[in-house]
Amino acid sequence: MRLKDHNTVKLKKRMKVTSRFRNNVDAWILLIPAVIVLYLMIWRPTVLGTVWSFFKMRGYSIGEFCGLDNYRMVITHTQFLPTLWNTVKYVLWSLVLGYLPPLLLAVIINEMVHFNNGFRSIIYLPAVIPGIAAMLMWSYVYYPDQTGLLNVILMKLGLEPYTWLTNPNFAIPGIVIYCTWKAFPGTMLLYYASIQSVSTELYEAAIIDGAGMLNRAWNVTRPQIAGTLLLCLVNQIIAVFQIMQEPLAMTGGGPNGASISLGYQLYKYGFASGGKATGQAMALGVIIFLILLVLTIFYFRLNKKVEDNAY
Amino acid sequence: MGNKTFLKIMSVAAAITMMCGALSGCGGGNGTASKDGKTQFSVGDWPTKDGTEKENLEAKKMRFEEANPDFEVIPNNWIFDLQSFYPKAAGGQLPTVYRTHFTEVSQIIASGYSADITDQLKKEGLYDKFNPAVLDLVSEDGRVYAFPYETYALGIGFNVDLMEASGLMEADGTPKQPKDWYEVADFAVKIKEATGKPGFVFPSSGNFGGWMFTPVAWSFGVDFMDKDEDGKWKATFNSPEAVEALQFIKDLKWKYDVLPSNTLMGGAEYYKEFGIGNAGMLLAAGDFTKNLPEYAIEPEQIGIMAMPAGPKKHVTLMGGAVQSVSDKADEKQIEGALKWIETTYSPDATDEYKTNTEADLARRLENNELITVKSMSVWNTDSEAVKFLHSKIDEMANANPNHVKLYNDFVTDLGDCVLQPEEPVCAQELYSILDGCIQEVLTSKDADCAVLIEKACSDFQVNYLDNLDY
Repeated sequence: MRLKDHNTVKLKKRMKVTSRFRNNVDAWILLIPAVIVLYLMIWRPTVLGTVWSFFKMRGYSIGEFCGLDNYRMVITHTQFLPTLWNTVKYVLWSLVLGYLPPLLLAVIINEMVHFNNGFRSIIYLPAVIPGIAAMLMWSYVYYPDQTGLLNVILMKLGLEPYTWLTNPNFAIPGIVIYCTWKAFPGTMLLYYASIQSVSTELYEAAIIDGAGMLNRAWNVTRPQIAGTLLLCLVNQIIAVFQIMQEPLAMTGGGPNGASISLGYQLYKYGFASGGKATGQAMALGVIIFLILLVLTIFYFRLNKKVEDNAY
Repeated sequence: MGNKTFLKIMSVAAAITMMCGALSGCGGGNGTASKDGKTQFSVGDWPTKDGTEKENLEAKKMRFEEANPDFEVIPNNWIFDLQSFYPKAAGGQLPTVYRTHFTEVSQIIASGYSADITDQLKKEGLYDKFNPAVLDLVSEDGRVYAFPYETYALGIGFNVDLMEASGLMEADGTPKQPKDWYEVADFAVKIKEATGKPGFVFPSSGNFGGWMFTPVAWSFGVDFMDKDEDGKWKATFNSPEAVEALQFIKDLKWKYDVLPSNTLMGGAEYYKEFGIGNAGMLLAAGDFTKNLPEYAIEPEQIGIMAMPAGPKKHVTLMGGAVQSVSDKADEKQIEGALKWIETTYSPDATDEYKTNTEADLARRLENNELITVKSMSVWNTDSEAVKFLHSKIDEMANANPNHVKLYNDFVTDLGDCVLQPEEPVCAQELYSILDGCIQEVLTSKDADCAVLIEKACSDFQVNYLDNLDY
């Protein structure tokens, strides 16, 4: 009798597992394509890149184990610290120039009574222009001779043409201005959605209390969207830390390395070294990965906190 | 069919499609034996766009396969570029025959991605017909790893209209030849004064600036590196000569004021500046004209002359292009590949060579490319093929031959000029470092050339030469 009970329990358990698997089979099938893509494009390269960073590479063919040699070469490279500092400068400039404009625009659009939808669509236009085309367009905006758009404006105002991206002090802020122009619509929509979710009763109460637009934005909107603000901050830091295409297309990392970033240096190791520095590219990839890992953990912790507060 | 079933079918189909897509990338790019026992080999640089070039190649393939029934040519559209070469090579995806340049070939040989073609060259009777100095650039330990087909020397390209407007051309269309770099600067000043356009353009990024700077520096007496008794490479360009050479580049901007405002210029931008008629002169290889048809400049407006001398030396850089055979090719494929290469690049003026050469010149004319520049021969004797090519160029010339006369005479008889190949190790890394120096002197009036050269030399030693492992 006891044995029979035991078998029944076992059978029931098995049936439960089978039934759970059957119920989830659709989900598993739907997941397969995404898993394959993730495996081929993210997981496999990440693991292989990490492993290969400890090997001497001949082009993309694996050579003998070399321990931390690739890491030594990356870290002792005389341009490593200036490049790391440049990357930090990108992040700092992006916070100075790029963090608040999307928020301000979202607040303005939220306060607009007429043309709200039209204005929102127009503002979103930079986000739909293909990246390389937009970068080349901005290179001509910044072109340092009399034909550059900004210099045409300066000359109309009776001023001398400026050197723009060929000036080492302006190269990074110049690129960050472009990045802000290109990326702010997405962030702005995020803020806008967040602002829209703020209860209108709070605004009505503030208006009754005599609060103006700025006052409402500071005392009502800001505390309500603080979570989104924090998330966007960390997200922006992570995204800008990986900057690569913009210096590649707009300045080539120049003048004299003034705008080269860690991401661009990795590209140079990997694809412009004639196959000599592939191992160093892997090592630098791991270094960037570790830095971003710390930021990402911070991001997830923050995200969880924001979500917990939201519900 | 229910929604659930439909979803299942779609998911499975998507999964299978993706797996097939992923696995299809694992196939080889070389070609092997076909069903009818023919040896297949693939040939890169095959145009994707319909037009004369593609038609010429298809006709050539047909003739080749008729004359060599054991072989089948598989077209491959990949064109050499440094970014995709090494990943493709590691994945076994290179075409059997691919084109590359002298500047890359030593690294490709060191990485083992180019097949040893010595035996086949000897079998075809070509080995002894190459100019040994040229063959040396594609050889290692006495074995040959590529087929050099074009060599050139750097000279001074110029815009005929701007030179004429500045009184720098003879009546018959021959330019006045600047004897040294300082005379080049004087010419550039005259062009700027007469036309308002930059008299000279000099690149500064994408390793292009460094590449162009090396022959200038050699002519000032610079030695960039040296191998010591222990076989270790030492950077040796922290010298007054290198400082003087960099000062010359700086002076072009700040003393003579003959350069364009844009001081961050890679290869594409460099040729564009000249191609849109915005520069009087530029340092250029004999084949620079193929970069120009996409711009407004016409063949009649383009010229090239000899390389000027420097204060210490008269020297020019030797560049060129090679056809390589993939390391994955077997003996039979190497045989086919060499036979294919020979149809266009041969010391003998065979009927097939003549047909292909005429078709290629016709294509270049159709493309509005200046065809009057004659490159140097890769062969060690008077080659019938070269004679044929040059006679056809004279016959089909699409501009006044005097515009390029001084360059053509120069490459035929270099006189006191030394033809120097690129630096032997870490050349691209050296160019990258020199790019930085050039950018600094072109963007900062106060840049100290001595400090820049000292740092560049030390960086080159620490970052590259000290880490050299092959």
